[in-house]
Amino acid sequence: MSARRRTAQYRTPLLIGVDTGGTFTDVAAVIDGELRVHKLLSTPHDPAAAVLEGVRALLGEHIAQTLTYSSTVATNALLERRGARVALFTNARFEDLIEIGRQNRADIYALAPARPQPLVERAMRFGIAERTLFDGRIATELSAAEQRRIATIAAASRAQSFAVCLLHSYANPHSEERIAQILAPLGRPLSVSHRILPEYREFERLSTTVVNAYVAPLMVDHLERLQGELPAHRLRVMQSDGNAIGAELARLEPVRTILSGPAAGVVGAASLARAFGVDRFITFDMGGTSTDVSLFDRRANIRSLSYPAGYPVRTPVIDIHTVGAGGGSLARVDEGGLLKVGPQSAGADPGPACYGRGEQPTVTDADLVAGRLVAANFLGGRMGLFPERAQRAIGQLGRAMKCAMDDAAMGVVRVVNANMARAVRLITVERGLDPRQFALLAFGGAGPMHACELAAELGVRRVILPCNPGLACAYGALNAALGREYSLTVRRVAPSYAEAGRLMRPLLKRAQDEMAAQGVARARLELELWADLRYAGQSFELKVPLTARFIDDFHRAHERTFGYAARDAAVELVNLRVAGRAHEYAHRPRRIARAVGSPAPLGRISAIVDGRRRPIPIYQRERLGAGARLRGPLLVVELSATAYVAPGYTMRVDDFGNIHLEAGAA
Amino acid sequence: MKLDPVTLEVMNNRLAAIAEEMGIVLGQTGYSPNIKERRDFSCALFDGSGEMVAQAAHLPVHLGSTPLSVRAAIRRLVLAPGDVAVVNDPFAGGTHLPDVTMVEPVFLPGRRAPFAFVANRAHHADIGGMAPGSMALASEIYQEGFRLPPVKLIAGGEPVRDIFELFFANTRVRQEREGDLRAQIGALTVGRRRMVELARTLGTALVGAAMEELKNYSARLMKAALAKLNDGLYTAEDFLDDDGFGTEKVPLRVAIELRRGRARVDFTGSSPQVRGPVNANYAITLSAVFYVMKCLGAAAVPPNEGLMRAVEVIAPAGTVVNANAPAAVAGGNVETSQRLVDVLFKALAQAAPERIPAASSGSMSNLTVGGYDAERGRAFSYYETIAGGAGAAAGFPGASGIHTHMTNTLNTPIEALEAYYPLRVTEYRIRRGSGGKGKFPGGDGLVRELQCLVECDVSVLSERRVLAPYGLAGGGPGKPGVNYIERDGRRRRLPGKASARLAPGARIRIETPGGGAWGRK
Repeated sequence: MSARRRTAQYRTPLLIGVDTGGTFTDVAAVIDGELRVHKLLSTPHDPAAAVLEGVRALLGEHIAQTLTYSSTVATNALLERRGARVALFTNARFEDLIEIGRQNRADIYALAPARPQPLVERAMRFGIAERTLFDGRIATELSAAEQRRIATIAAASRAQSFAVCLLHSYANPHSEERIAQILAPLGRPLSVSHRILPEYREFERLSTTVVNAYVAPLMVDHLERLQGELPAHRLRVMQSDGNAIGAELARLEPVRTILSGPAAGVVGAASLARAFGVDRFITFDMGGTSTDVSLFDRRANIRSLSYPAGYPVRTPVIDIHTVGAGGGSLARVDEGGLLKVGPQSAGADPGPACYGRGEQPTVTDADLVAGRLVAANFLGGRMGLFPERAQRAIGQLGRAMKCAMDDAAMGVVRVVNANMARAVRLITVERGLDPRQFALLAFGGAGPMHACELAAELGVRRVILPCNPGLACAYGALNAALGREYSLTVRRVAPSYAEAGRLMRPLLKRAQDEMAAQGVARARLELELWADLRYAGQSFELKVPLTARFIDDFHRAHERTFGYAARDAAVELVNLRVAGRAHEYAHRPRRIARAVGSPAPLGRISAIVDGRRRPIPIYQRERLGAGARLRGPLLVVELSATAYVAPGYTMRVDDFGNIHLEAGAA
Repeated sequence: MKLDPVTLEVMNNRLAAIAEEMGIVLGQTGYSPNIKERRDFSCALFDGSGEMVAQAAHLPVHLGSTPLSVRAAIRRLVLAPGDVAVVNDPFAGGTHLPDVTMVEPVFLPGRRAPFAFVANRAHHADIGGMAPGSMALASEIYQEGFRLPPVKLIAGGEPVRDIFELFFANTRVRQEREGDLRAQIGALTVGRRRMVELARTLGTALVGAAMEELKNYSARLMKAALAKLNDGLYTAEDFLDDDGFGTEKVPLRVAIELRRGRARVDFTGSSPQVRGPVNANYAITLSAVFYVMKCLGAAAVPPNEGLMRAVEVIAPAGTVVNANAPAAVAGGNVETSQRLVDVLFKALAQAAPERIPAASSGSMSNLTVGGYDAERGRAFSYYETIAGGAGAAAGFPGASGIHTHMTNTLNTPIEALEAYYPLRVTEYRIRRGSGGKGKFPGGDGLVRELQCLVECDVSVLSERRVLAPYGLAGGGPGKPGVNYIERDGRRRRLPGKASARLAPGARIRIETPGGGAWGRK
């Protein structure tokens, strides 16, 4: 069928980024150096359908060189428990570890504590007579009889996917490898713990391996279909750490792509921010039911452990904190007299009261009453809002709070902003970083509306509203580097730099070989070497670059994070890490026309500003030229979002159409 | 100062976040597996009068009792800027000896009195006494370990070396203790700094008013939650298996009177204090009541001291629920506390049968193992608690192998445990069929088996080895737990509370109780 396709006669290769979310599928393509975007409804029953349709809409009959894909397929399989029937091979007498976990409960005051159901049912966990010890010695070898038994069980199991996890396999993978050899001929996805995560702490390694096995068949099918039908020479998949990886590798370790969508959003924000020279910022992506925040401090902050759908997964993920509050969150007064916003949401149906069907007050209703949203301009005027319904709902809330409607509206705005501020503090203050040293980068439908006040609450002085606020994820996929992280537990007390270097060699070789197999030339491969260190006796490691000063750097990092350094204590090297990356493409945004004269407002709206109602001007974003300067309070409307610029903020439009707000500047 | 609902909600979040951050520092810098892997610690904030205003969701048994430590420190000492008080004496503000509590005042410029206090409590894996782990079958406090009434560990920013040296001289594993104490101090430092920053950015008056108003808010919510229950007098009785010294069926009795949003919880009629280490002091009994009230009040009630305003607790002195010195108390904290929750819920089930769960495992199944590790050239003391089955409730089967009620510590990863101690885990699985049978079955307990690779002193402190966790509404009871020692293939049953010396190669096997079921099948 490719015969009827023509390879493009463009000067630059065709590149595409695609993001499938729960509601929308976004496509961003660079065609002849120009960015083109397309947004269409997702097809959750068959995610590939919307992807193919969206790509064809932009490409026509042409074939892209590279298509980078971020998706929620693996996440949703986990959330909705639609994954594979997995057979788990683990040590006999330890088959229930997957169920016991760390033996704790999430909510300490719950009358009926519950845990997520294990992903492998009991009858599918097979105990193997084998035991390796912490120092790599094998106390009980896999017998020939046991090997035959494994083969028989596996063949009869009706499993769609296999997981293998044995105690201490990070110290000696021999037995796991042997089991893998027995299972491989059966041709089903195979997840082996020491390959996926050669690090100690059995439950997290086991859980990561099982999650991988659980989502693998779905991802394999999905990626195979896309590879077969997409008009692209090469398919890459976004990983949770913000790097893309070839589809061939993604199929082996789909667990690394679980949070690929939100990660793409952060990469997109970073690509945009590069254009205006900001490298320390907080992303604030506020949507309808939830809000993602993350910290970018010259690089994305990477965590090694996350809990998608409640299952621990130890693979690198961008540290994204999600709050269950957004525009659709319901506001109410509780029995103690406190105003609460969320986590209950009006969702898409009935939606906020002002959408015309619901009765209960939401954040969007409060925004509308407060004059931060223009009823006539919602979604570019494609969807009408009902201000009188919002007023009725917020008025009722005011009666419950014994205050006027306007005060109730501002109360809702303040509470939701306080929730957001707490989320931001979790990713800044709790990591020992001061949010005031960062800019706030706001996107998503409701982000630009709440950004100014959130910034004020946090003491942040600079707010940036990038263009195309709804397409950050697809844009991120387009710009993502190719890369993967490799790690290995080594556990050495007081290692020299030379010794660490020696231990690093096998890891380095694997990174170089795999990246070469992805078509990355040696010269273009960037390698970063890291060491996870702790004071001998501690159990939590800090990650520092592996340089000749690595021990010194660790003392300093410990002091910064935990308030003290023990310079006379022995330092233990726990894990070594190599991050291999290759930057393939960076989109250069186009300049917009310069502003001529001062911009004219579309009109005015009655808004609550500093506790009083007053008219403030409304501007159309597309009509603001480069260099335009305005002072708050004002609103800026565009297709997918409305921005509120508070008094005391100065607004400037840069050469690429991004809006910069500065507190207190003249 | 009148605070609006919004400011109050913001402050509630802020204060809780400070306690959470203290916990992160403590967990990530601790040295003993009990702190760094199992997270056997808690952190909380207190106002200038020593009343708790916020806590992180750590361990209920700590959280409800720490206020008494803070108040004891304030009462006994004059705390100045840069001071840190330490206390573990159960008869002077502590709970049981391994739980070491630290308190630091927060001073603001230009004010003579402390503005607030930050505190944390961590379970040290050894605090001296007759057996490694300090959780042995003792009959008086002097056998249980090193007692510290409130004293200054740091004075004016300078460590009081004498106290440190005294402390280390009385524990078996000095290096671990040093690291853990340092982690506790580091957590206080971070908590104090955050409180000072908060007062500086928002104003002392506002933060002070918010701390006061948050307690009022909790009191209002708790009162509303209690008013929803049917007024009446609800009594219940339950029994500890034994005290480990031959006294069996030790009664715990409670009468809860609910009247118009107030509760009077009276333990009169409970057993006089006993010889074995299952005596609870008043702080523990208070923490069990605090926990039960917080469960009734649900998620919305901020866990601060206002919550207890509508609650009166009566625990006669000289009984197992308010022991006098020199009673042995190690198990009051970890075992009797669980059983107090059982008896409280048993009474409340009459007031709210549709909400209250059947009995959970009722034991933390405490295991301590210690000795000398010749290969690593050091003494060791290892402590763990083993989860059991949760009791079922109407509509909810009980979870299996999960810590319930007064504790929520993690397990030590097998791969960490074996790398650190001369021990090998030979079995860890769910004890199938141990949960009660009924419409909603109780959760199953666990089986945990450890093999000693060197000669070891082992202590077990466990409950519900004789008397089964009760079911409710016709549901069956959970199976009692069983403790064994195994050597050369022979299995010997160990009582619920026991100490033993194990030869290299011998194993200790703990099978924990299941939870009770809810409803007839």
